[in-house]
Amino acid sequence: MRKAYLSIFRIRAAESFQYRIAALSGSLTSFLWAVIEIAAFTVFFKYARGPGGGLTLEQTVSHIWVRELLLFLQPYNIDGDLLGKLTSGDVGVELCRPLDLYWHWFARTSAGKLVVFVMRCLVCFLVAFLLPGGFAARPPASPAGFLLFVPAVLCAFLLCSSFLMLMTAVRTNITWGDGPMYLLGLAGGLLSGGYLPLQLWPGFMQPFLLLQPFAGICDIPARLYIGSMEPSEAWLGIAVQLFWSVVFIAVGRFIMARRVKTLVVQGG
Amino acid sequence: MPQIELSKIRKTFKIYERPEGKWALLRGAFSRTARTVTALDGVSFAIGEGELVGYIGPNGAGKSTTVKVMSGILTPDGGACVINGRTPWKERTAHVAEIGVVFGQRSQLWWDVPVSDSFLLLRDVYNVPRETFKRRHDELTETLGLGGLLKTPARQLSLGQRMRCELAAALLHSPRILFLDEPTIGLDAVSKLALRSFLKEENRRSGVTMLLTTHDMDDVEALCDRVMVIGHGKLLYDGGMPALKARYAAREGEDIDEVIARMYEEMAL
Ligand SMILES: Nc1ncnc2c1ncn2[C@@H]1O[C@H](COP(=O)(O)OP(=O)(O)OP(=O)(O)O)[C@@H](O)[C@H]1O
Ligand SMILES: [Mg+2]
Repeated sequence: MRKAYLSIFRIRAAESFQYRIAALSGSLTSFLWAVIEIAAFTVFFKYARGPGGGLTLEQTVSHIWVRELLLFLQPYNIDGDLLGKLTSGDVGVELCRPLDLYWHWFARTSAGKLVVFVMRCLVCFLVAFLLPGGFAARPPASPAGFLLFVPAVLCAFLLCSSFLMLMTAVRTNITWGDGPMYLLGLAGGLLSGGYLPLQLWPGFMQPFLLLQPFAGICDIPARLYIGSMEPSEAWLGIAVQLFWSVVFIAVGRFIMARRVKTLVVQGG
Repeated sequence: MPQIELSKIRKTFKIYERPEGKWALLRGAFSRTARTVTALDGVSFAIGEGELVGYIGPNGAGKSTTVKVMSGILTPDGGACVINGRTPWKERTAHVAEIGVVFGQRSQLWWDVPVSDSFLLLRDVYNVPRETFKRRHDELTETLGLGGLLKTPARQLSLGQRMRCELAAALLHSPRILFLDEPTIGLDAVSKLALRSFLKEENRRSGVTMLLTTHDMDDVEALCDRVMVIGHGKLLYDGGMPALKARYAAREGEDIDEVIARMYEEMAL
């Protein structure tokens, strides 16, 4: 049975590579955006009085590139195809499969992210190593940090997918519209460190920022890469990621199971 | 015990409407008036294994709703339904593993990947053993003439070509029951005839029970020994096609569509 979900993951990934050109052109946007940000931070670090928060300029630049690498995990939007299926009633076809709708869509949602990762994020990140001096992406702070960065990214993938599935489950009530989704997506983006590294936020907020659900989507893996989280502390970061993944999955499944019973398959 | 048994199935839908008149848009944001539509008003019937039943009725009669209930994807408000010994919407996954469904208006194929990839996915989804799958796959490819279509993405297929692939997709796991909701919609005469003979042959050979909704009375005449008529959510006729014709035809050899139209009229649909 597990094989079915793997196959769905595979076919969805293959299908989404249809849009590789769009994703590739997105990498240019990512790239320019990161360069502008780095320029701004360089100026900021140069003229700001005293230490600029918890990170050095080098770490901040590195954080910006890692963030572009992990951009595909930003939980802005639920899978557009799934939304279409809910509103058009094609969800009926999905329900005719002997599968658990939650895991079925979990596989779809996560697989749909791969094309953006490879064609947009990875391309942008690798090219960034070729940039001159102060703009270039840097290698990881330590080999141990990198060895922990990889599983942390995988956990971030899990966390992001389970959060998106929670949003999908909520959105299964199609009469609610998109409003709540946008708010959730915005909060998620901000708290994941996707706009500003969380360690540059005020010191008193740090314990909260590390433990809240969204740090694991971007900031925790990034910390391991840039060395602002010691490899010996990685267990805490990864535990936070796994904890919130389990919470999102449990709540998402609960909501989805209830919704499926009352779902009205539209059209006919 | 019959394979499919529905008794007194009821389903109503709530339709929310915006208030009319001045400030309607604004008021609509706060209050909506709900109206209920009765789609199924106590539908009961039983179908035995291997039967091929036509399910007809005017637009909005409740045919698609019945198919959805029997497929386990819509929970009715009341009544009982037992198919293969299970209540579809209560044991959905176990139920759908044993049925196949074709919705004429929707596709179950993956739009952007070759048809054969969709088929392979179905093998894993329904957990069909490799050998069994291959045999069934080759058989369906042969009888439906899919040879040249398998490498094409579904979005590049014509409607008729796609419908043949949809049929194969619904039958790959050798279901015991097949529900078809308007499978012949939009097909040309040749495709229609091919589809009919395929369904007839499939029913005869593998004994799969079929229930088919359609607005094409020739489909029903050609395929079904038994026809059920539904109108306003109620079952109005259940029996053979010749008997139905005898009852409503004005004269010998009258066109079947005219007969059906008269029947709908007399039933005040
Ligand atoms: N999702 C829905 N929301 C509200 N009303 C619905 C919904 N689906 C169906 N209905 C109503 O239920 C009734 C039966 O619809 P159904 O789709 O079963 O008809 P049908 O017999 O399949 O018609 P057709 O031949 O046009 O396909 C119709 O009056 C329709 O308006
Ligand atoms: Mg219909």
